[in-house]
Amino acid sequence: MIPAQVTAPDGLLLILALFLPAVSLLAIFVLGLRRPERIALPTLAGGLVVALIVALQVGHSGQAATYRLGGWLPPLGITLRADGLSAALIAMAALILFVVAIYARGNFGSEPDGAESRQPMVFWTLLLGLATALNTVFLAQDLFSLFVALELLTFSAVPLVSLEGSRETLRAALRYLLFALSGSVLYLIGVALLYGAYGTLDIASLHQVTRADRATSIALGLMIAGLMAKAALFPLHLWLPPAHAGAPAPASAVLSALVVKAPFFLILRLWFDVAPQPQPAIAGTMLAALGAVSILVCSVLALRQARLKLMVAYSTVAQVGYLFLVFPLVMGSEAAVPWASIGWTGGVLQLVSHAFAKASMFLAAGLIAQAMGHDRIDDLGGAAQAVPISLAAFALAGLSLMGLPPAGGFVAKVMLLTAAVATSNWWIAVTILAGGLLAAGYVFRVIGKSFAEPAKGAPPRNAVARSSELAVLSLAAVALMLGFLPLQPFAYLAIGQGGLP
Amino acid sequence: MTAAGLLIAAGLAVPMAMAVGCLWPRFRLRAIGWIWAAPIPALASAMFARGGGIVMSPDPLRLTLALDDVGAMLLGGAALLWSAAGVYAASYLRGQPGTGRFAVWWLLTLAGSLGTFVVADVTSFYLAFSVASLSAYGLVSFDTTAKAKRAGDVYMALALLGEAFLLLGFVVMALGVPVGNPLIREAAAVLPVSPLLAPAMILLVLGFGLKMGLVPLHVWMPLAHPVAPMPASAVLSGIIVKAGVIGLIRFLPLETGLPGWGAGLIALGLFGAFYAVVAGITQRQVKTVLAYSTVSQMGVVAAVLGAGLAEGAPGIALLAGFYALHHLLVKGALFLGVGVVAESGQRRRWPVFLAMGVLALSLAGLPLTSGALAKYATKPLFGDGLAATLTALSAAGSTLLMLHFLRLLRQMPAAAPDAAPEAGIWLPWATVALASLVLPWMLFQHVTGYALADLFETKALWTAVWPLLLGTILALGLFRIGTALPQVPEGDVIVLAERLMPLIQAAGRHIETADRWLRKWPVASAMLIVLAISFALAI
Amino acid sequence: MNAPTLYGLCAAALVGIGLFGLILHPTPLRKVISFNLVGCGTFLFFGVAARRGAGAGFAGDPVPQALVITGIVVAFAATAVAVALILRMLEAGVATMDSRPEPPDDLSP
Repeated sequence: MIPAQVTAPDGLLLILALFLPAVSLLAIFVLGLRRPERIALPTLAGGLVVALIVALQVGHSGQAATYRLGGWLPPLGITLRADGLSAALIAMAALILFVVAIYARGNFGSEPDGAESRQPMVFWTLLLGLATALNTVFLAQDLFSLFVALELLTFSAVPLVSLEGSRETLRAALRYLLFALSGSVLYLIGVALLYGAYGTLDIASLHQVTRADRATSIALGLMIAGLMAKAALFPLHLWLPPAHAGAPAPASAVLSALVVKAPFFLILRLWFDVAPQPQPAIAGTMLAALGAVSILVCSVLALRQARLKLMVAYSTVAQVGYLFLVFPLVMGSEAAVPWASIGWTGGVLQLVSHAFAKASMFLAAGLIAQAMGHDRIDDLGGAAQAVPISLAAFALAGLSLMGLPPAGGFVAKVMLLTAAVATSNWWIAVTILAGGLLAAGYVFRVIGKSFAEPAKGAPPRNAVARSSELAVLSLAAVALMLGFLPLQPFAYLAIGQGGLP
Repeated sequence: MTAAGLLIAAGLAVPMAMAVGCLWPRFRLRAIGWIWAAPIPALASAMFARGGGIVMSPDPLRLTLALDDVGAMLLGGAALLWSAAGVYAASYLRGQPGTGRFAVWWLLTLAGSLGTFVVADVTSFYLAFSVASLSAYGLVSFDTTAKAKRAGDVYMALALLGEAFLLLGFVVMALGVPVGNPLIREAAAVLPVSPLLAPAMILLVLGFGLKMGLVPLHVWMPLAHPVAPMPASAVLSGIIVKAGVIGLIRFLPLETGLPGWGAGLIALGLFGAFYAVVAGITQRQVKTVLAYSTVSQMGVVAAVLGAGLAEGAPGIALLAGFYALHHLLVKGALFLGVGVVAESGQRRRWPVFLAMGVLALSLAGLPLTSGALAKYATKPLFGDGLAATLTALSAAGSTLLMLHFLRLLRQMPAAAPDAAPEAGIWLPWATVALASLVLPWMLFQHVTGYALADLFETKALWTAVWPLLLGTILALGLFRIGTALPQVPEGDVIVLAERLMPLIQAAGRHIETADRWLRKWPVASAMLIVLAISFALAI
Repeated sequence: MNAPTLYGLCAAALVGIGLFGLILHPTPLRKVISFNLVGCGTFLFFGVAARRGAGAGFAGDPVPQALVITGIVVAFAATAVAVALILRMLEAGVATMDSRPEPPDDLSP
């Protein structure tokens, strides 16, 4: 039932989370483009504070926070809602964006008296655009606002890929844009079909009225396929490796950590909140099968890469596959509701710990490439002496990816394994373990090469900013700290699920 | 929070703190001189804190430490060997580059391996096991030769594989207990009636067997021991391998009994025991022979555990632990002794040889040595059938292998005639050798409940002696054949696996080609439409 | 066959033609045009939904019309970004506007 109250007071923070980055983006244009990071950094800091307050309030009250734009009720009005899952994700996004911004001061900080320059201006404005888009995706409650948010996300991400302006990055950016647009347009057709069938696009209302008929099936099939294309699930991953490898390091970090997670989050919403319950098991198994193939094939491909950033990008595709294993694990569980099962917590924890670990890994790869002057893995000898902190961060992030204790990735892996064994999905359990072993292969390969002696006649190393290295280490440390969560379904993530207030 | 509990926790905290301290360069440079002190709190807790325990973190994680009799026995022995090997390492590696790096890996492995003996809940066990397992990589690959790198790679790959098996096994076991992080004994108690008994048992045996050296998962041992520095080999064979043993002791439901699984484990263990002897007598390197001897002895330990599992009586854990303690001390002393022999001149060698001979034959069950005690204690478990005979024959096999070892030891090139090993080298060896002779006598009555006088009965003495005689006859035959035996490469089965490498590389190339095809625009967008239609039909 | 059904079939045809072009035409500009075709088909779907969902006395449900306006703006922005990228690629000598096939996927440094 829709509550009578129009707007909860704590809901104002939700609109602030969207409002703040969007306004500063405009402010950068108005207040002069010469020092954009002076506006962007405080904004991202403010965004972090807002996100943390929202997360704490949701946890404290045990209820979702809601905000209705203009006081209009659905289906005509636009609602923002932060349940436990959304609150955790906006906090994660805000933290990663903030730390990446601190790192990026080294790359894209502008000179004190310099003229306005293209790359810093584009980078900082688009970073703010990403912040707005991500918050909207996690908070919006109707399917069309989510479409707009997805498009905003794509348009903010694509120019970041081609920031350097070289041929390969331009081609990668166009491929990313066109494939993402293909996905969006399939999503939009699905939205049209759903509106035609039910007359509303509000998720809470759809949750009450959806039934298993042909229109709904076609619509959901189109939407899920479109979102899979944006999330780069195998075999729709063609755009991700060149795009994430070609973008500058801070952009790659945000792209891999956050931008590919937003479509997955939407698939979760569609699956559990919009699709008629119970979903057929075959569909969940298909998603998990694609995820499993993604993990195994792309981990093998990551092992065979010659360049560090390409390896990390293929690792992203593989790790996204882990997320799609969640569907049969949650559906088959004995828990009363899906979000009370350990598979749900495991999947979300995998998402969050991978975000921190991958962001740290890309930033570390950027620092290593900056110090060594290149990013060929076989020639990384001597990196351990040149940038020890970055390599340590890389190793810690790798621990999380491999699923070794005491990292967050380990706890997520154990939860997923528990769910897999409990639902008798032994093939999923074996896939998870095999993925961990392959990840160990490609992480140790890099670390091993970095500890080797440098080649004779190697060019001298460049220095890297200390603050950047510490930023990288802090992200890896967060990934590690997530390892101290208890091995049980996390009640926080169940707040507000299922249309409860 | 009792004093005993704090002491147990200190036993782990001190090595970890020292390892963390190595982050500071000044400490790291001098660390190698202090690693002997790291296991002292653990040694103290083994002697004084038996029966104590401490819960280190609140609900629901509940990381628990507890020291029972088996744990105390193995903890004490292990701490002693770690300390002695630490003194040895300080002298052995003096002046070499990289001692700081060595000290870090040493301390982490030490903390992990001592941890496996005192933890009481599943998560802590996995943590301690992982730390011990993965840090030992640094010890194995310490030398920067190609051989060491290969050994390190094989070790790491198999260690990670073992971790994967164990993780799944622990997850399966923990499902039977409603609490998030169960105590090991709770999980083991539920196991026999669990519907997932078969997968759990297979995974546990695979995971722990990999660490223990059950054939065919033993391949890392003959590769790792020769390339690691001498003190590292001593602790690898002596202590790290026992992490697998303590795992089986704790996780198998030894008190309830599972006859079918027990018989299987006996078969697996005895097969390994004989296989290792056959592979070992073809080896030419002293340390490799010792590695195969460890594989063989661990096969016997596995058979002991299997016999106990089949019977299902209390007290089995102590007997298996007693055998493991005997092997720990003797093997550690043997490895350290090889170093002593290497540094002794012709004149000083004879007393050392004599001691090494006694130690080596102790593994075969020479009367009055710890080996005889251990074999006497575990013999009743096998009853009177085929298993008992085979176990006795394995002692003959051990004799054969050990005599081969002693011959190779004598052929080792000698140092200068008057050379004497420094105190830092021979004193630790002598301490461990002495402990291996004395400690089991002290513990025998408490562990087995038999009187010491039972060992001197004629029947007992003959049971111990006839395998030795048989083995000596076989050894004389072996020495006749001499070098006509084919050379089995170190690691035997791993060579077959390495032949598969080109196939694996080719498979990788095919995957890359397939990926390149999938990444073409028309193919990928067509896949998008296909997936849309499939999901539309499926949902 | 009444008007909404006819328009619905047209919309389906547009989507089909657009998807065909999106998958098979090699040059970037044609892909952008195909994307716009699919977008047009989708907006036509919304129009059909508007007509069919019209309440008593109204010619059409106003909500889908609002959605279409937003959608047109989004599609316009998408086209603008794509065309800007193509222009930049043209300046860098990468893409051309004739029917030569796309260069092979080259990821080597």
